[in-house]
Amino acid sequence: MNESLINPFTLSHPTAVQTSLYAGALFAKFDPSGRFIATARLNNCAEIWDLETRAPIRRLDGHVKAITSIDWSRNSRYLLTSSKDWNIVIWDLSSTCDPPQRKSTIRFDAPVVTASFHPKNSQILLVVLATGEAYVCDTRKDHKSRVELLETIADEMEDEDSQGPSRSGMTTARFDPTGKNIFVGTSSGYILVFNTRTKIMIARHKISGAGTIKGLDFTKSGRRLVTNSSDRALRQFILPTYPPTPADVENQSHPPFMDVELEPTHKFSDPINKTAWHAMCYSPDGEWLAGGSADPAGHKIYIWDISNDGQLASALDGGREPLTYLHWHPSKSSFATTTNQGNILIWHHPNPERWGAFAGGFEEVDENVEYEEREDEFDIEDESVLYERKMKAEEEDVDIDTVVTGVEAAVLGTKGTQSGNMGGSATPIASSKARPMDLDKVGTGITDDVETSWAEEEPDDDVPGGWKMKIVMDNDASDYY
Amino acid sequence: MDSIASSSKNVINNAPQEEQHSLSQSGPNFQLRYILSGHRRAISSIKFSPDGSYLASAGSDKLIKLWDAITGQVLHTFEGHTEGISDIAWASDGEYLASASDDKTIKIWSLQDRREVKTLIGHTNFVFCVNYNLHSNLLVSGGFDETVRIWDIARGKPLKVLPAHSDPVTAVSFNHDGTLVVSCAMDGLIRIWDTESGQCLKTLVDDDNPICSHVIFSPNSRYVLASTQDSTIRLWNYQTSRCVKTYTGHTNRTYCIPACFITTEKGKYIVSGSEDNKLYIWDLQSRKVVQVLEGHRDAVLAVAVHPFKNIIASASMEKDLTIRLWYEE
Repeated sequence: MNESLINPFTLSHPTAVQTSLYAGALFAKFDPSGRFIATARLNNCAEIWDLETRAPIRRLDGHVKAITSIDWSRNSRYLLTSSKDWNIVIWDLSSTCDPPQRKSTIRFDAPVVTASFHPKNSQILLVVLATGEAYVCDTRKDHKSRVELLETIADEMEDEDSQGPSRSGMTTARFDPTGKNIFVGTSSGYILVFNTRTKIMIARHKISGAGTIKGLDFTKSGRRLVTNSSDRALRQFILPTYPPTPADVENQSHPPFMDVELEPTHKFSDPINKTAWHAMCYSPDGEWLAGGSADPAGHKIYIWDISNDGQLASALDGGREPLTYLHWHPSKSSFATTTNQGNILIWHHPNPERWGAFAGGFEEVDENVEYEEREDEFDIEDESVLYERKMKAEEEDVDIDTVVTGVEAAVLGTKGTQSGNMGGSATPIASSKARPMDLDKVGTGITDDVETSWAEEEPDDDVPGGWKMKIVMDNDASDYY
Repeated sequence: MDSIASSSKNVINNAPQEEQHSLSQSGPNFQLRYILSGHRRAISSIKFSPDGSYLASAGSDKLIKLWDAITGQVLHTFEGHTEGISDIAWASDGEYLASASDDKTIKIWSLQDRREVKTLIGHTNFVFCVNYNLHSNLLVSGGFDETVRIWDIARGKPLKVLPAHSDPVTAVSFNHDGTLVVSCAMDGLIRIWDTESGQCLKTLVDDDNPICSHVIFSPNSRYVLASTQDSTIRLWNYQTSRCVKTYTGHTNRTYCIPACFITTEKGKYIVSGSEDNKLYIWDLQSRKVVQVLEGHRDAVLAVAVHPFKNIIASASMEKDLTIRLWYEE
């Protein structure tokens, strides 16, 4: 809501550190609302920080070895932590007791590398183990299952004597933003795409020269993908449209898949030092890409302007402590980077103080303006005429209930028009905040609905506005922390 | 404390209905239903809880009383401030109540434990106004030390001190998503602040610079409703710095009297107390007085609107000391 007054037209990438949180964190991740940040601490517990008060508000103690990944459910109610202690834990932050109770723990046969929630249903989980296996765990009553994602190997049937080409280990996996497909990175430089519902591989993309795939990130629309790999380069791809899964696919022993090499639209690497990347993240609108350098001697973040053909827009320096992680705020021009000393730096785009705002009726101008006196400016007018004119101006109806987003409000405000004319952009106050528009939106076909309705069977109870982070009064702050 | 509670037994059901001025047939028709008494000195603030089941009131007798909004029974009296209380505010979950007092502190009261849980110390003079944000993790306060302060409630620590005005701050409030703060003061200025950075984003000022006594955001936060001590209430479009509606007819020259938005099936209205012992209800759009509620015997300093039912609560000063609940029939 404040954007409308701050000047909504200067959206940019973060440029300066706003605050640092002394969190003792391995890495830190914003929640989808941007109100909180979840940290994995050096002492094996996770911690939730309130970004408005910049203070820790919940400590989640349950793992006995280091936490390897954190994921938030779409309305921030649940938190998923994976750990080297072979467990993943789902925490319910709506629980009124402090520390919050775990909703469930799922145990695997090896250390867990990463775990994430399905974007449409937090009861479906994607897990990658240190042994190179990936599983989809469905905890819904009617779908209860734990299915390993297996790469379809075409040569297998012809070549029966040999062991067949061995499957390469899976190193990372992510749901795409729709949850329809799962993207898996392997140690041999492949991206495998699986259908979430059938768990069958639908595509395999060779990324030549990449080596081991270390990380994946999508734009909000899911149209573009960026990979981080062991050849110290970040690659951006535009994803192809995957054909709908045929109905009888589950009966086929070797269902067909798309085997295409993907050509990156952009390749980002440090040309001088050839340093690797610890993390990368798109801005919410997908126009910027930030890469966190693995430089052991400094805290460097590179920002590329994707809408401007991937030009390097800025290189930010966050001091001496090397960077370990980077995550972009879900809606603002802000990101959080973690240092190897456990501090979290929150970066922002500072707005210059406008001193003119302190004086009512004054406006700051950039340069001198020749003042043009209006024809009637100093005419002495009858007060009753003035009053009447004022009353006339007040005839126009006002809308005190319809909520508009910041940019729209600014436009409306300057034009003085009513929100009634704004059509679909206005949202009633009760519903959740309007989502930012996607610049590269993908058309949804009929097949998406099959996948979506499958994912939305047995919906979870993580509904918008369905829970509240209870304020826990902390009488002995210094003792507790 | 008990004696006060017992003295408030005179809850009147079907109170004698006093003559109403129903100026328009289709307009609102609020009727007096309950009179609650118990306070011993002027009542400065009343607020309905967010779920609508309680009414909290506070005044210069240093007490906060919690009433059942349905039956009118006194449920509890919170005691602890050493000077009179100027304002109270509910947390959005209804579990905590904040009170601003002339003893320079803000106290947070737990409804569940029925006790004081926190005292926020920092203001160097009377604290005059207080409000929560949507998530109730922040509190904003203003006072006679001319500052606006933003507090981290869980820790009871100040996050920001804004040297906001050059006279006592009379009202301060968050917008619906908590990103903006509006404040007004006796210097006649209304200022809008960015919560996160503490930067001043806008200053609204009327030509005559009357003392500004109360300000709130409209439900969608696109306007601010400001009461000034020239017996006028104005609705401002703060984007354009233009006054879009003016409401007059009541008397307000001395006290800080709040105005509220009220929406019923019949329409949208503005309601405010008045120093002529009445309450005035204006039509939001036409700016006409559509109903005047009479019954109080002293200036009406506190007005509250039920969060979803058509109930107005009002409270008055020394010569009256009652809280009256008005129901739309």
